[in-house]
Amino acid sequence: MLRFLTGRLLRAALTIAMVVTFAFIVLRLSGDPAQIIMGADAPPEAVEAFRAAWGLDAPLWQQYLRYFGAILHGDLGRSMRDGRDAITLVAERIPATLALTIPALVIKLSIGIPAGILAALHRNSLLDRLVMALAVAGFTVPSFVLGLLLVLVFAVQLGWLPSGGQESWRHAILPIITMGVGGAAVLARFTRSAMLEVLGQSYIRTASAKGVPWRDVVWGHALPNAAIPTVTIVGFMVGSLIAGAVVVESVFSWPGVGRLLVVAVGNRDLAVVQCILLLVAGTMVASNLVVDLLYGVLDPRLRAGKMGAQ
Amino acid sequence: MQRRDFMTAAGLGLAAPALAQSDTRPSLTIAVQKISNSNTLETPREQSNVGFRVSSLYAESLIGTDWLGNLGQVPGLATAWRRIDERVVEFDLRAGVQMHDGRIMSAEDVAFSLGGARLFGGASAGREPPADALAVARRTFPGFERMEVVRQGVVRFVNRVPDVTLEGRIAQNVGVVLSRQGFETAENWQAWARRPIGTGPYRVAEFRPDVALTFEAHDSYWGGRPPARRIRFNEVPEVASRINALLSGETDFATDIPPDQLPIIERNARFEVVGSAVNNIRVLVFDKGHPVLRNPLVRRALTHAIDHRMIIESLWSGRTEITRGLQLGFFGDMYLADWENPRFDPAEARRLLREAGYRGEAIPYRCLNNYYVNQTPTAQVMVEMWRSVGLNVQLQMMENWSQVVEPGAMRGIRDWSVTHVFSDPVGSMLRAMGPLGELQRGQEWTNAEFNQLCTALESSTDRARRRVVFRRMLEIIEREDPGYMVLNQAATFIAKRRDIRWRPARGWPMDFSAANLGFGG
Repeated sequence: MLRFLTGRLLRAALTIAMVVTFAFIVLRLSGDPAQIIMGADAPPEAVEAFRAAWGLDAPLWQQYLRYFGAILHGDLGRSMRDGRDAITLVAERIPATLALTIPALVIKLSIGIPAGILAALHRNSLLDRLVMALAVAGFTVPSFVLGLLLVLVFAVQLGWLPSGGQESWRHAILPIITMGVGGAAVLARFTRSAMLEVLGQSYIRTASAKGVPWRDVVWGHALPNAAIPTVTIVGFMVGSLIAGAVVVESVFSWPGVGRLLVVAVGNRDLAVVQCILLLVAGTMVASNLVVDLLYGVLDPRLRAGKMGAQ
Repeated sequence: MQRRDFMTAAGLGLAAPALAQSDTRPSLTIAVQKISNSNTLETPREQSNVGFRVSSLYAESLIGTDWLGNLGQVPGLATAWRRIDERVVEFDLRAGVQMHDGRIMSAEDVAFSLGGARLFGGASAGREPPADALAVARRTFPGFERMEVVRQGVVRFVNRVPDVTLEGRIAQNVGVVLSRQGFETAENWQAWARRPIGTGPYRVAEFRPDVALTFEAHDSYWGGRPPARRIRFNEVPEVASRINALLSGETDFATDIPPDQLPIIERNARFEVVGSAVNNIRVLVFDKGHPVLRNPLVRRALTHAIDHRMIIESLWSGRTEITRGLQLGFFGDMYLADWENPRFDPAEARRLLREAGYRGEAIPYRCLNNYYVNQTPTAQVMVEMWRSVGLNVQLQMMENWSQVVEPGAMRGIRDWSVTHVFSDPVGSMLRAMGPLGELQRGQEWTNAEFNQLCTALESSTDRARRRVVFRRMLEIIEREDPGYMVLNQAATFIAKRRDIRWRPARGWPMDFSAANLGFGG
């Protein structure tokens, strides 16, 4: 188990190092932060002063080494645009994002999984077709289109809910629904597929033939076996909690991590982008690790296989 | 604390809610694309349309600008000013101006604001302004020597060298008057820059960068009690979301509306779109370093191939104007009213290309996606107009400014705009195109005679001579050896509730003072 965990952690560290390096190269080669942040009308001497103040006039490899070294010492740097520590800026935005993504995740799970199970259990019925039609619609409509549609109906036409901002809990309803609908659709499709595959297995037929009540067959045999692909998707969704609302936060003017990321990338504000990427990579890696561990819990064969390997 | 002070404070504390309740003035909410570029409200760091929009709400200069009128200079925090000589301007300060912290503006506040650590550095650790802010200040006041407090109520701005444009420079928002005490007691520069203490009609109540900026009425404002109790600027980056926020009644104003969205708003009787041309001119910049554009005949052909009037009528519905070169009417006696832009003449363009020996070589044109209003459709139309005379201009969409100005063989034509920061060519032509301007510092264009004329324009105090010099400069940079081509005067469109009486300025600032805001009808 220790070797397994060590291996995963080393791979995670390598992944994060590659993410940091990739982001540095892409951001620094695609624009000069000084020119972008100072704007089109900035006097050249102001742009040069900005470059010098932030060390942007040094060779790129020196900037990279300095940045990477700082990260290794736990210093994620300061925002060139804001002047404050990048970690402070990002930390300020996390609660706003979680206020959307956690309720949205609850919606995804509470609608997507039951809908997928129901559709699989009633395969080819009207219910199945209805669920799948809605799932396809929810899956294919981009979130910015869905968000604007919801705003047009519920804010502009009916006047029931605000169209954007973060002043009250009512402002969170439409963005949460926008995110929840798309994720629920994805989960419903995956859950249905997984359930259908499991329901076609011989051990399900055997259990039914032995006279095990159908409910017990579903709960005791089908669901645990079908859970593995669903857990993988859920793990991905949990990993996206921090920065999974980029588009929705922009459409609804919600001041979360996603919007901060958009602004930071636009300004080539490297420290902030890197800080968010590290956070996202960290949560994604942690989430995948938990999912890997859950595989063992859900499927005894995997557990036995790992122990056998050890 | 003395017993009397305690009782007074307690009384004020109890009375405050009652006073707030009795304030029946409406509040305003405004959806903007961006509140602040630098996440501060300190004017040297906010030298763009974004910062100009709000700065006059909280801070003012000694010399004001008639934003609703002819953009001329009007009394601001100074009631009068006079030239002592070609280097010195003396100001009579407005008496009894209360700052947002309750103190009365003093001559020391003025001297600090225009000549102290805020603009020129030397503050204690933690309060030193960023290097780029200091660079902007030096650029605004390149010849600054010192501020003199003659006596309480009278100050002098002393320049090292003669400069006819001093009043214009001082009228810019870089030199707004802010509280010296506020600066010196702030926790650090960032804290100061996020809540500057000025004299404007509204004081900064709360600033949440990238989210909202809230102002409260400064009831002791010298220009009259502000008509709105609070003004909140909400940052709404998406244009569709800004329009939705307006139509749903959540905001009273929505700014930065592109012309193609105007009919959607104007269909609704409750709203209207107001807009006006502002003190900014859109131009196309030519890179003389590009192998094809090195030949001025090709650049001249580019200028003759564009039907600007057609673009204004079709893409702008006639809502802006074509300026006479890089100048605006508010230049006063420096305005050359008879100046003509290169005329639309496809035949002349073709003739010039033949003379230049142009063989259809590609000319890159770097463009951002609607950073400027109508930028992309204008670029697409122009590319077709150029094609019709035989010019092979290749549109290259860029993501940011850095990519647009990046030197190299692939830089040929690019979009830009020039703001006229004060009423003299020095505040636009020289600032942008002169030897120290972006155009020449970026090695896109230079001309020896033009640069000599720049020196004459900046240093001469003979107005008649300056007019001659300016005309010759225009001849060089717009006709003979084109460095840019004027497109149109920039315009801003603001959607608003029809029942709010408000007029847009002829610049970026939004004026919500008693003189320009009313409710009902």
